[in-house]
Amino acid sequence: MTSLQEILLVDSLLLVLVTVTAVAIIEVRSLYAVAMLTGVYSLLMALVWTNMHSMDVAFTEAAVGGGISTILLIGTLVHTVRDEKPAKRRLHLPALLVTVLTGGALIYGTFDMPDFGDPKATIHHYRVPEMMSQTVAFATGRVGKQAPPADYQPPPRMVPTLSAEQLAAERRRADERLKAGDHGDHHLHPADDFNGHVPNAVTSLLAAYRGYDTMFETTVIFTAGVALLLLLRRPRREDDEDEPQPGSEPLRGQVILRVMSKLFIPFILAFGFYVITHGELGPGGGFQGGVVIATAFILYALIYGRPALYAVISPGNLERLAALGVLVYSGVGAACLLLGGNFLDYAALDRASPGDGEALGMTLVEYGVGITVSTVMIIIFNQLAEQQPKARAS
Amino acid sequence: MSGYFGIYNYWIYIALMMIGFYGVIAKMNLVKQAIALGIFQTGIFLFYISMAVVDGGTAPIWTTIGDGSLKHLGPYDNPLPHVLILTAIVVSVSILAVALALIINIKRAYGTIEYDEITRLDSDEIDDA
Repeated sequence: MTSLQEILLVDSLLLVLVTVTAVAIIEVRSLYAVAMLTGVYSLLMALVWTNMHSMDVAFTEAAVGGGISTILLIGTLVHTVRDEKPAKRRLHLPALLVTVLTGGALIYGTFDMPDFGDPKATIHHYRVPEMMSQTVAFATGRVGKQAPPADYQPPPRMVPTLSAEQLAAERRRADERLKAGDHGDHHLHPADDFNGHVPNAVTSLLAAYRGYDTMFETTVIFTAGVALLLLLRRPRREDDEDEPQPGSEPLRGQVILRVMSKLFIPFILAFGFYVITHGELGPGGGFQGGVVIATAFILYALIYGRPALYAVISPGNLERLAALGVLVYSGVGAACLLLGGNFLDYAALDRASPGDGEALGMTLVEYGVGITVSTVMIIIFNQLAEQQPKARAS
Repeated sequence: MSGYFGIYNYWIYIALMMIGFYGVIAKMNLVKQAIALGIFQTGIFLFYISMAVVDGGTAPIWTTIGDGSLKHLGPYDNPLPHVLILTAIVVSVSILAVALALIINIKRAYGTIEYDEITRLDSDEIDDA
């Protein structure tokens, strides 16, 4: 357990680096350098998240920011320009004025903010202690594969298990304990049922408490894939085969890259599947694992060329899989409905052992997210790489 | 923990947001603008994750020992902002991808991705018509 001072010490150093990198990204004119700097920026940010104990976010940031965005940016620069046009003036005064004024107003607002790490801050109360206290376990306090106690009645989902008066009394008692400075273990409020009882609270919230939200986030990503296809797909012409496709052959001759990528790809894939499957027990989940799996495919396409990638998985199948992921997610929700629960009420999947049902539902849902995220990332990469270089385009 | 050090993180988030904001306004290159928008977003991410920290807290993941029973690690950081930002990061890369696709199409149509040149080309077209 780290104390707040230690966190802040590392934090203040890292954030200085982050800010300097951000200024460099805005000011450097070579766009390739900017693309690499954004990679550095994201990795620094991943360190900041880790330092603040936000493992799942750090995971995502490292995979998305350090990996995918950098590749996407470079893929775009190949088809557009390499350097920013020199500006007429070094400093854009109106913009500076607007940002300084806005920033000043926001800083004025921070004086009302609770201190960093203050356990009494509003955000840590109301429903959060309830969610945390329930994240694991029925009455036995054991995780995952346990049968509920003999007299256990599954409560109606999302409905308070205590009467309104009892809840109010419990809340008052909790508030008094808070006032007395006792906010240690987050077990302050009585149980409403939040329908998510797995050890990783982040996954529990992601897949159960905010299950609808996550489903539509997945849909947003799917929509981005569709948008890329609509914006960039062009009808295949007869002479396409004869033209050297950009990005198809350039790295084949590099022995070191070829051997190393062959060594790496199985491990990247295994790690990706581990991250998805393990999401309910430790840091990880569908978003992180999906991006990790996508990087394995993208690495393969970068080194061996996209035709080799299409031999592994055809563009049509990629599109079908992207849709399948969303279908898996909503299908699990529909299955819960059919089994007599609410939409995405995973406990309905296994009435005899609701804990197992929840673990099963969350894992399935995470796989749905993982499938959509990984295939959409590969589709995005393919669409950006498939463009003709600028000389031919004009 | 009090005084200005307690709100240091909020100042950095504002600094990052304003650096991104400046980039969006002042830079004419469309790729640069898309990246600046990303910096603006990470500023907001920092704000959320900073709020989630609890003094003495640890990552909101429960640990189990041998027989599957729980080991209580004490207070946890707030998991809710983590969830919000986790999905927001993946959505932000989708936004970046769609923006880059639009930029490639703009390059195809106008031959440039500098905002002021595109505006000039547009106004020339209007003058010609």
